[in-house]
Amino acid sequence: MAPSLGNFALWLSLFFAISQFFVSKSNNLKLIKISVNGLLISSLISFFLLMFSYVVSDFSVLNVFQNSHTTKPLLYKISGVWGNHEGSMLLWILVLTIFNFFIFRLYNKNNFKLLSKTLETQAFITIGFVLFTIITSNPFERINPIPENGLGFNPILQDPALAIHPPLLYIGYVGLSAAFSLSVATLNLNNNEKIPWYTYMKTFVLAAWIFLTIGIALGSIWAYYELGWGGWWFWDPVENASFMPWLLSTALLHSLITVEKRKSLKTWVLLLSILAFLLSVVGTFLVRSGILTSVHTFALDPSRGIYILIFIGILGGYSLILFGIKSKKYFDSNYLTFFSKEGSILINNILMVVVCASVFLGTIYPLLVEIFTNNKISVGEPYYNSTAVPIMIPAILVMGVGPILAWGKEDKSKIFKKILPGILLTLIASLIVFLIYQSYSIIGIAGIILAFWIIFNNIIILFKKIKNLSLGMSIAHLGVGILILGITGSSVWQKEKIATMKINNEIQIENYNIIFEKVNEISGPNYVAIQGNFLVYDKKKNIITQLKPENRFYPITNIFTTEASIHTNLLRDLYIVLGEGDPNVGWVVKIYFNPLVIWIWIGVLIIFLGGVVSINTNLKKLKTLTQ
Amino acid sequence: MKKQLLIIPFLLFLLILLAFFYLLMIERNPSSLTSNLLNKSVPKFESESLLKNKNFISSEEFGNEIVLVNFFATWCKPCRDEHEYIKRFSDEKKIRIVGINYKDNSKKASEWLKKLGNPYSDIPIDKNGRIAIDWGVYGIPETFVVNSKGIIKYRHVGPITKKVYRKINSLIRELE
Repeated sequence: MAPSLGNFALWLSLFFAISQFFVSKSNNLKLIKISVNGLLISSLISFFLLMFSYVVSDFSVLNVFQNSHTTKPLLYKISGVWGNHEGSMLLWILVLTIFNFFIFRLYNKNNFKLLSKTLETQAFITIGFVLFTIITSNPFERINPIPENGLGFNPILQDPALAIHPPLLYIGYVGLSAAFSLSVATLNLNNNEKIPWYTYMKTFVLAAWIFLTIGIALGSIWAYYELGWGGWWFWDPVENASFMPWLLSTALLHSLITVEKRKSLKTWVLLLSILAFLLSVVGTFLVRSGILTSVHTFALDPSRGIYILIFIGILGGYSLILFGIKSKKYFDSNYLTFFSKEGSILINNILMVVVCASVFLGTIYPLLVEIFTNNKISVGEPYYNSTAVPIMIPAILVMGVGPILAWGKEDKSKIFKKILPGILLTLIASLIVFLIYQSYSIIGIAGIILAFWIIFNNIIILFKKIKNLSLGMSIAHLGVGILILGITGSSVWQKEKIATMKINNEIQIENYNIIFEKVNEISGPNYVAIQGNFLVYDKKKNIITQLKPENRFYPITNIFTTEASIHTNLLRDLYIVLGEGDPNVGWVVKIYFNPLVIWIWIGVLIIFLGGVVSINTNLKKLKTLTQ
Repeated sequence: MKKQLLIIPFLLFLLILLAFFYLLMIERNPSSLTSNLLNKSVPKFESESLLKNKNFISSEEFGNEIVLVNFFATWCKPCRDEHEYIKRFSDEKKIRIVGINYKDNSKKASEWLKKLGNPYSDIPIDKNGRIAIDWGVYGIPETFVVNSKGIIKYRHVGPITKKVYRKINSLIRELE
């Protein structure tokens, strides 16, 4: 019953999306309202009916059978809904319709034309995705006879961070659709209404950006705590697929500020908002089409790839041709001086786009090589470290100064005076760190200097309470500084030891002695595990902590996973992974000393807070606009 | 700025799109990774067999005829999907198939084969994944085509689909 209803609701979504597409051209507000609300409600229903099928373990649904099991904890039954391709499409559609609803809520007499066109585009996008889901990936497909139990769910995906990571990312990706639609609508308007479309766009971009930030961070947290590889970023195609829209939306956000304040860069913003959404879609579906392989790959099916590529072709072709024809009237010949706020924003924009382009190139380069030479190559961390990372260094330098420069033109003689305190504090702090740790890694020292540069400049801004400077911006930038500190520490000074250890063996890493005390057999809700007990002592033989990494076995899916055990303080993480082994030969043990990791998460949290403060300000602005 | 320049983003987009289309259209499989073992003899190994009471000794089994080597396990969902094709190789094409049971529970594997049918002529057991390491297996399922001289001629990573089934068949015809 529930699955059939869910399927029906999905078709209903298609109906409402089509009707929204046609009625949004008319002036009939009532019809538009019915379509928008109907679309939201029907997508909600189909989404929750699939969730219901998961919760009650209705194995007559193929999707539930393939991805769930009665013994799975409730949280993971629920998150199982979006842990697979078909179910995640429903989530994608739901988020689309929620943003659709918010766009509709902004309607008033003045912006009617702009928003109608936006809703039309949004409806078109929704139609594309609903059709895709119904035709190629219907999550409500049934099987007969009904199996007794499901096939289970990849245990490595059973993690709280990962349960909420996809929804957050989707909100980010799909939120960019609103910016895309607004851009298309703006380009379409012939007599340029005096509507600040950029203020509308900025709120959506901010929302998308906040969710992308936190979604990416949660993915990293999962990778760090669950994968047991000792790191938190692997330049995997799917990671890149989320990082590229983040880079572009960051650039977009900053350009939008320039548009708001100086009415410059409009053409650029219109282009960026189109590209940001296109990249989100391309990135997400590149992996699902099977063109690229990755650890994230869902089931492969070339017909899906063709469909989604045609759809991307229509979306991108239409919007970019429109841009090519119509964007000229938004072009301004305002001259941006180098030493000004907008100048620094423009520089950073260019650098962000270049970083994005180099990540894009790294992701698709293996494909291009294959087309032309028929060789398979793979591009990994060394490529990104030597392309993306160096471009970010000047971007970060500029980021420290940009906010304190004035709009328009800055008096060059004053600049030095303004940045002097920042420079001094940065040098002093970096020197202290250097004297304590005495590391001669150039990248490490550069990273620390850059981090302090951002941190101190923003602390100064926050203390001086310079008016006209956004509080959210300063907080977010402070977070970026702290993030850089964490990234530098954990990537430059990481120590790794891999050894086969027997009970009572001892190993030393940095200033710690670690003793393998014993192993226990334990059992969890849907797994059994071997748990190692490690005692950690410092140089003075004081016990610091006990670490208990697990090697789990999930009988239903017959998969082994490792559960790292981590001791965290403000300066470092001690990270132990228990591998395979037995009492006679010993166990393979991996131990990592990861400096400053906690500051990565703290940094992201502060960035997130900054984003929330900013969006609050923007919503107020939007409210006065639409009253 | 010239108006014509504004169309550049579209042209770039078109180019990338065409590249993707080309990749989707051609007979290509992202999983057919080149293997270091290609055109080399099969790695030597000896292990218990799931079907017989005597050990499986690789040097005795390869080099007489064309053999497919298929790494599988009961816990691997794609293996279930490709099983029908494995059976077709054995039933319709009469090709000898060696299935290597990778990190699996032997009892479960026997039951699984009873239920789905057994296309394998012999099944060496790879309890701890040692054999898979020698063969350079990325992740299962994985299938190798070994010619009548015991040389590895083709490697496929991932489940066998209709397309791959046809490709392997035409390859086997060539080898014969």
